[in-house]
Amino acid sequence: MAEAMIEVEGLTKRFGTFTAVDHVSFSVGKGSIFGFLGPNGSGKTTVIRMLCGILEPSDGTARIGGHDVVREIEPIKEMIGYMSQKFSLYDELTVNENLIFSGKLYGLSGRELDQRRDEMIATTHLEPYIDRRAGQLSGGWRQRLAMACSLMHRPTVLFLDEPTAGIDPVARRELWDLLFEFAGKGMTLFVTTHYMDEAERCDHVGYIYLSKLIVCGEPDELKKMPEVNPPGTRRLDVTCDHVTTALQAMHQMRGVRTATVFGQSMHLLVDDSVKRAQIDEQLRKVGVSHAEIHEMGPSLEDVFVELSAKHASEQQRKAA
Amino acid sequence: MMKPKLFRGLGAILFKEFIVVWRDPLTLFFFFFPPLIEMIAFGYALDNDVKHMAMLIFNEDRTVQSRQLIDRFVNTESFRVVGEVKSLEELKSEMRKGRAYAALMIPPTFTRDLNAGHSAQVQLLVDGSNSTTALQALQTGLGVALTQSLESLMRETGRQGMPVDIRPQMLYNPAMRAPNFFVPGVIGVVLQIGTTVAAAMALVRERERGTLEQLLVSPLSRAGLMLGKLVPYLCIGMAMAVVLFTIMRFVFFVPIAGNVVAMMFSTLVYVFALLSLGLLVGTMAENQMQALQMSMVFLLPSVFFSGFIFPRETMPWIFYALGALFPTTYFIALMRAIILRGANLLEYWPHLGVLILMSNLLFSVCALRFQKRIG
Repeated sequence: MAEAMIEVEGLTKRFGTFTAVDHVSFSVGKGSIFGFLGPNGSGKTTVIRMLCGILEPSDGTARIGGHDVVREIEPIKEMIGYMSQKFSLYDELTVNENLIFSGKLYGLSGRELDQRRDEMIATTHLEPYIDRRAGQLSGGWRQRLAMACSLMHRPTVLFLDEPTAGIDPVARRELWDLLFEFAGKGMTLFVTTHYMDEAERCDHVGYIYLSKLIVCGEPDELKKMPEVNPPGTRRLDVTCDHVTTALQAMHQMRGVRTATVFGQSMHLLVDDSVKRAQIDEQLRKVGVSHAEIHEMGPSLEDVFVELSAKHASEQQRKAA
Repeated sequence: MMKPKLFRGLGAILFKEFIVVWRDPLTLFFFFFPPLIEMIAFGYALDNDVKHMAMLIFNEDRTVQSRQLIDRFVNTESFRVVGEVKSLEELKSEMRKGRAYAALMIPPTFTRDLNAGHSAQVQLLVDGSNSTTALQALQTGLGVALTQSLESLMRETGRQGMPVDIRPQMLYNPAMRAPNFFVPGVIGVVLQIGTTVAAAMALVRERERGTLEQLLVSPLSRAGLMLGKLVPYLCIGMAMAVVLFTIMRFVFFVPIAGNVVAMMFSTLVYVFALLSLGLLVGTMAENQMQALQMSMVFLLPSVFFSGFIFPRETMPWIFYALGALFPTTYFIALMRAIILRGANLLEYWPHLGVLILMSNLLFSVCALRFQKRIG
């Protein structure tokens, strides 16, 4: 991995008796895209806030570009950009004015400010809306503007808190294209998301569950973890009609460990002893006559489902 | 970059805040409109000059002398005759109805006693349910009787001139006009309403909308944020002050005896103190509702304890001390000194000094109190 831009060690945040973030450690290399995943309320935003220096950690350390987030926050502020969940824009200001404001906030002025603004408008294709009030923009355009604002001072590290929540698929795809472009230029990106397809595109992903980081690494490595691929099992993709009927049949079949619906198909984790013909036969009994069965590797979602189930059961065992 | 670090980001906040204020006509409306209405209403309503009080006459004497006595009462301009009654019962009933604040009863023996050199008795009935009018009626009535008695005595003894001759001279407000006394105070009171709340709202709105988080992540300094929020409202506040002083001068005809520059400078310091107070409220309040309620905690007592209506010197010591905490107290004292008494810097500097100290202290406290972190 390239030199570390973000280094987090035992980061913890307690609110009273509630531990929102529990000894989280990871590091993000320069110019890479780190995907931070986890259910709502698991502590993603709290981690971002601590990394941006607006929330004091209860324990542990975090360094950005070698600077400590508690003791050396001022140099960090110059080098980071932050796009919050709510796209913090001023609705009364036009697109142009929002950009100018963001630039001035970081000490830009004169020709440099104008140039930077034009550059951001070109990158995010905001030209047609330049004089429109931010409050009158649709979700996708607000998101682009928020992103352009957070980039005006050319941050070396950009934090994005659920940048694609509630955005249409086209805007989502375009945003990710932009993120790759920035990463290619050396910017380090820290992105929280709910979307698995977005996670698949990250260089590294971390999954936080019940305040703990339960897994962290490259997507392909995570898919090879033994917890996700128990010995003596394989994963099958079954495409057939009447998926819900087929799913019930699979749940009752011996040797099938898990069965989950994915659109028009099912993902099965089965013992090696289970033969394709047996599955075919079982499906025919419930009236599903034609099924296509392929072997497949685990998806990132499989990884997170397996690991969080395992984590939850360990927690229960500890509590009992 | 060699910009002073203390006010880092000030330019950005000023740029944004001026646009936001300008594009929000509702805020401007609530900033200007209520104080204007209050100024007009207070200015006209607060008047303790009691003139032409309704008076009833029950004259059983009906002579030239008794009519002269009635004329003397009317000539004081404190009374006007609204009718005559024929019986004591009628008089009492009319007074209960509130037709008059006072009634003059002249007995049938009035002229006879007067001419015989006896003490001629006249009864003045006063409605005591309103203390201001009662006091005025009583004083005027006693004054009229005293003057007439003295004149009779002097005629009888042949003496020229009074034994003691008091020549009162009313300084600074010779006509004893109530607007002169009240309107400078009204300006102090109405200025604080719009400014304090507007500044508090400006900060709280930022918190409510989540834009504060974005500002905190940036290298913006606390003093830069606070001053950037304050200056646009300082401009509006001063514009409003000019409007209010204009109304004072040309609608209520209050002459400005002192230096106009001193008056405007005092106002600038005062509005700065009020806005800092508003920002302080803004750092404490979680939402706009709280901000409004907290502002009221400061605003209401200042109306009573600043000496706006009741003189502070006659208050119990605790309220006197309480009054010393409000910027309004010093501003009103300054305005009366500059506008009415035409005082110069050497004469009013203690009030101005306290006000300058207060505004700096309030601003520093709100900048320091403001957390650059959340939660």
